[in-house]
Amino acid sequence: MDSLYLLIPVALVFVAAGIKLLLWAIDDGQYDDLDKEAWRILAPEQDEHIKAEENPDRSKDES
Amino acid sequence: MLSAHQAVAEPRAAADDGPCPCYHCGETVPHGARFEIEIGGESRAMCCPGCRAVAGLIAANGLENFYQQRTAYSERPVDAEFQLNDQYLIYDDAEMAQRFSQQEADGSVTARLLLGGITCAACTWLIEQSLEPITGVHSALVNLQQNRLDVRFDPEKIKLSEIFSRVESLGYRPRPFQASTQREQNASDYRRDLRRLGVAGFGMMQVGMFAVALHAGDIQGIEEQYQGLLRGFSLLVSSFVVYYSAGIFFSTAWRHLQQGVLVMDLPVALAIGLAWLASAWATITGTGQVYFDSVVMFTFFLLLGRFMESRVRQRHSMTWFDAESALPDAVSCRRKDQWVTVPRTQVAAGDIVLLRPGETIPVDAEITDGASAVREDTFNGEHLPRAVVAGNTVFAGTVNVEAALEARVLCTYLESRLAALQQSVEVAQTEKPRLARLADRVASWFVAGVLLVTSATALIWMQIDPSRALWVALSVLVISCPCALALATPAALTSAASALRGRGVIVRGENALEALARTTHLFFDKTGTLTAGKLTLSRVELLVDQTEAQVLAIASSLQRWSNHPISQAFNDISGTADIDNVKYHVGQGLSGEQQGLRYRMGSEGFCRVLCPQLPPAPSAPLYWVALCDEHRPLAWIGLTDSVRPEAAAVIDEARHNGLLVGLLTGDNSLQGTLLAKTLGMDTVNIGLEPQQKMAHVQALQEAGYVVSMVGDGLNDAPVLSLADASFAVAGATDLARTQADFVVVGGDLTAVTSTWRQARACRRIIVQNFAWALGYNLSAIPLAAMGYIPPWAAAIGMSLSSLLVVANSLRLNRKPR
Repeated sequence: MDSLYLLIPVALVFVAAGIKLLLWAIDDGQYDDLDKEAWRILAPEQDEHIKAEENPDRSKDES
Repeated sequence: MLSAHQAVAEPRAAADDGPCPCYHCGETVPHGARFEIEIGGESRAMCCPGCRAVAGLIAANGLENFYQQRTAYSERPVDAEFQLNDQYLIYDDAEMAQRFSQQEADGSVTARLLLGGITCAACTWLIEQSLEPITGVHSALVNLQQNRLDVRFDPEKIKLSEIFSRVESLGYRPRPFQASTQREQNASDYRRDLRRLGVAGFGMMQVGMFAVALHAGDIQGIEEQYQGLLRGFSLLVSSFVVYYSAGIFFSTAWRHLQQGVLVMDLPVALAIGLAWLASAWATITGTGQVYFDSVVMFTFFLLLGRFMESRVRQRHSMTWFDAESALPDAVSCRRKDQWVTVPRTQVAAGDIVLLRPGETIPVDAEITDGASAVREDTFNGEHLPRAVVAGNTVFAGTVNVEAALEARVLCTYLESRLAALQQSVEVAQTEKPRLARLADRVASWFVAGVLLVTSATALIWMQIDPSRALWVALSVLVISCPCALALATPAALTSAASALRGRGVIVRGENALEALARTTHLFFDKTGTLTAGKLTLSRVELLVDQTEAQVLAIASSLQRWSNHPISQAFNDISGTADIDNVKYHVGQGLSGEQQGLRYRMGSEGFCRVLCPQLPPAPSAPLYWVALCDEHRPLAWIGLTDSVRPEAAAVIDEARHNGLLVGLLTGDNSLQGTLLAKTLGMDTVNIGLEPQQKMAHVQALQEAGYVVSMVGDGLNDAPVLSLADASFAVAGATDLARTQADFVVVGGDLTAVTSTWRQARACRRIIVQNFAWALGYNLSAIPLAAMGYIPPWAAAIGMSLSSLLVVANSLRLNRKPR
């Protein structure tokens, strides 16, 4: 059980790194728009406009 | 195979029985309107040419997916007739563009645009997808939280004005994004809250892990050195969380305490602070109990509740619209005998400007040439224009409706009448009475009670067993930790606000739901709020032996030549074809000929010139227009601004529920009184200037009443921001929206009463939450005072009671029965 003396501090280092990373991401503006990012993952593909013509056919096939 | 239309997920799907909603904006398609377009293989009904144009453009770009993905209807685009194509050209000017754009290293330019009319995440996709394929546009990124578009483009290949026009053609209202301290404050507050929340979350997981080991140790037995180790690290992590994340509770509580106000943050800060202190003491001395996990978890959930609440509110906060932004940026100004388009800020007193029909007048000016009429509903709510001739003064923010005018600028924006209006908005904001939150009122006696019980407990235990007195007293404090109490309000408000959002009402104001639930007086503006804001045909007094249809056909074919608001009333009536030589007489009326027979339509005096035997207008309080030919008078046509069909029901319901309903209008015609009588309103005040409206509301507030106001125009903005709770309804100006606590997106007045009902329900839920939280504390405190509650039981009890509060609040989100 003595390993706890090493493992817990190591875990804390990871936590500190995690917090640091999160704070960086927040300050970088990556969380500024939570609504949109949550929606974007469900949105049609990004290069949609290129394939605009195929679109109606594809949606019919899927349904 | 399913047909394509079944894939279309429609928000507030159209019921087959009711009137059909517009596929684009969701407003009811008017009878006889035929604006259809094929989208997704189906013919879709549209309510107006504007919606059809936007939908057509979306479909033509292969972006129909927008309609399946969006979660709210789009806003109805502004009438095209009031838009000038060249209004954005001004932003091609380098100096103008510099205010909201910046040069990148590679020669491209990044511009920031503020967008009006974004209703959901799918809008951002639509805008990005339709901008990015354009040659010259490097990237387009919409920030939904701030309604902001960042577009990076190559100025060699595309002009900024084209980007503006493009965004506008999609049905949004673009304007330059101006940095403001308020907006920056909001953005940095948001990030700060998120940082606190994130740190608390990480801390909670870590301390929770140690806590599991410690609780297991309590049950199975644990060696003292490992218990000490785990407690020590818990202390370390939780200290950081208390310092970093929970600091806000301490500072808020302290700030209010200095002013002698007890707020909800005080019991919260006490609970966190004392539980942490007790646990730290236990850790250092190696005795007693630790509550680190409760401390951190409490902090996290509380921050989460508040973060969600403020996010729901701020998502639609449009704090940056002021009166000035309603003015066009581009002005036609005479420079060296030539009309040039210059930025409004460069126009100085003494310049001669050209005011085109349909345009919002950009400056206060005195007319030097021309005659026209201006619609001044900005200031007085009156929808019928005032006739103006050379020598008269016109004001910034009003609309020139009839003919082009030349005018000499009188003053800069800051001295204009519109700026004065904006100032009263700002004054009203500071004078708005602060209603104490329910939570804070509960907090004040809760704190007193807890401190009383704790000291009593400590005193009693001093008599029984002095060695345990400290620990029992502390456990009483921890048990009484007001987690559920503190969550009761934000959880209910968030839930109520998101339910309202689904029904087309945006909640913006802090405290607004609570204020609305307590409202005693409900005031309506008339034009555009109770009425539809445009003239419709009400009565025809025939003066000859002809049918109404014949007379109206003549009237309609004459009116086709006018863009006066009166002509809108005749839009749906088909005219006779053979009327020609129609002339428009500014401020008087129209004249025309049918096979040599001369007709006149307009004011009494104007028609008498052609036909002296015209009888005086009927006495009914309508807006009367005469029609005559050269031999005889034909008819008096009575027009009125029609009342919204649902208005009567809304007012009825409000009165039945004990609210005092009143009319506050700037219009000083008799129609206001008549309308109020028909609708059964309790009080009527007509002919009020914005300041008088404010004084009226203020007087009631000083008498201790809670006042709600429903309005739409620029002139309502000050009173909206003063009222305890306020609504901006359909088609409201951006300034009115900015000041209102609730923005009704659709054109439906019933949203006012349904929001009011929701506010009452929300208040009920908050009271229930309080009752539960207090009940739980009251039953747990005696047990703790007797020394029976181990820390794990306290932690579980606390979490369960918080969960119950959240679950109860979620009931607000259910569909109304």
